[in-house]
Amino acid sequence: MSYPKKLAEIISLMEGLPEMERRETLVSYADQARKQEPREGEAFDLEDIRKDEECTDSVGVFLKVDEAGGCHFRIKLGPQVQTLTRAMTTILCKGLNGLTLEELQAVPQDFVPKIVGAELVRIRSHTVYYILTRMKSAAMVWKKRQVRE
Amino acid sequence: MSSDSNYVHPEVLVSTEWVAEHYKDPSIRIIESNEDILLYDTGHVPGAVHIDWRRDLQDQLVRDYIQPSDFAALCSRHGITPETTCVFYGDKSNWWSCYALWVFRLFGHTKVKIMDGGRDLWISQGRPLTREVPNFSTSNYPVPTKRLDQEIRAFFEDTLKHSQQKLPLVDVRSPGEFSGEVTHMPDYPQEGVLRGGHVPGARGVPWKRAVNEDATFKSAAELRKIYQEELGLKPSDNVIAYCRIGERSSHTWFVLTYLLGFSNVRNYDGSWTEWGNRVGAPIERT
Repeated sequence: MSYPKKLAEIISLMEGLPEMERRETLVSYADQARKQEPREGEAFDLEDIRKDEECTDSVGVFLKVDEAGGCHFRIKLGPQVQTLTRAMTTILCKGLNGLTLEELQAVPQDFVPKIVGAELVRIRSHTVYYILTRMKSAAMVWKKRQVRE
Repeated sequence: MSSDSNYVHPEVLVSTEWVAEHYKDPSIRIIESNEDILLYDTGHVPGAVHIDWRRDLQDQLVRDYIQPSDFAALCSRHGITPETTCVFYGDKSNWWSCYALWVFRLFGHTKVKIMDGGRDLWISQGRPLTREVPNFSTSNYPVPTKRLDQEIRAFFEDTLKHSQQKLPLVDVRSPGEFSGEVTHMPDYPQEGVLRGGHVPGARGVPWKRAVNEDATFKSAAELRKIYQEELGLKPSDNVIAYCRIGERSSHTWFVLTYLLGFSNVRNYDGSWTEWGNRVGAPIERT
């Protein structure tokens, strides 16, 4: 399965990095997580803010679907969300921006270890998968609402 | 040092203020241990080194701790000698710092302390963080002659025997995990346990009861009330504590051993991820 172009570029970059540089890059992505939050005056087609049992703090997913059907996300994370999950938030917002709902649903999870590295994917860091699940879930909810309307 | 001199060993707790005043002392090594594996990289107490509970302290092939030679190499890499006072702190109300301290005790390192309140308190007080990783001259830590597995660690068979003999077992997980209603912590994904419940005869005392809102430890009087008055434990009791993978029970082990002065407490690090998956292990649900 091929990945969306922007995500594939990030995967390619991360796979080529030595361990220490990979960590530094992930921290850099985590630092940018706040830039993925909704901005003043932005309107969304769907807002899904909740804290559930799979993550250590609340996660807000904000979806805007453009006229061509492209999905654009903003994500707001609670302060206790882990660093890896913060990093993945930035990566996903950048890597999946503009995908159609169908393209988004087709993105597999198997790229996560390629980005994060086997060393960091382990017990107590599985929330790294959580953001993608929430993004897909938000998009599905939006689609169901469209069908009903 | 600690805010409550009524602890049996108040010297094992240091305040954030104390750390701020002593982190440059060459006889002291500040050690951060977290659940969030990249948290240290985002900023840490100046001069602090990082010890990763899984990469650095656990054997990567066998579910066990590193060997004495690996421990000596780890300490040497961070310039730690047997005379170095290791001050641990971290996220999650010091779960993993207590875990790391417990592993250091397994290898017989005696000069250990916890920074009360951990990382969150340090940050909430506006104290400085740095991303600069310190580089200490390598030391020559002698290879410990043994690991104190018999003294402060319990295995499955020890815990089963304890249960059968109705000796004190403290389950420090959340009430839902203890009752068997859930097989994971609140806010955490399932970590692969097939059965829910608790070791027969165990009493449930969530680790969290031992800390205040700011992650500092409760006073000696409050802790005595919980563990001695409510639970009926005595400092001379032979106690085993467990959780899911041994980190929350390290926290309770620290409380009982150092703050309340219990002389015979062991941490069952196999905990519920071993017991709840073990074929034939008896389970109680309430």
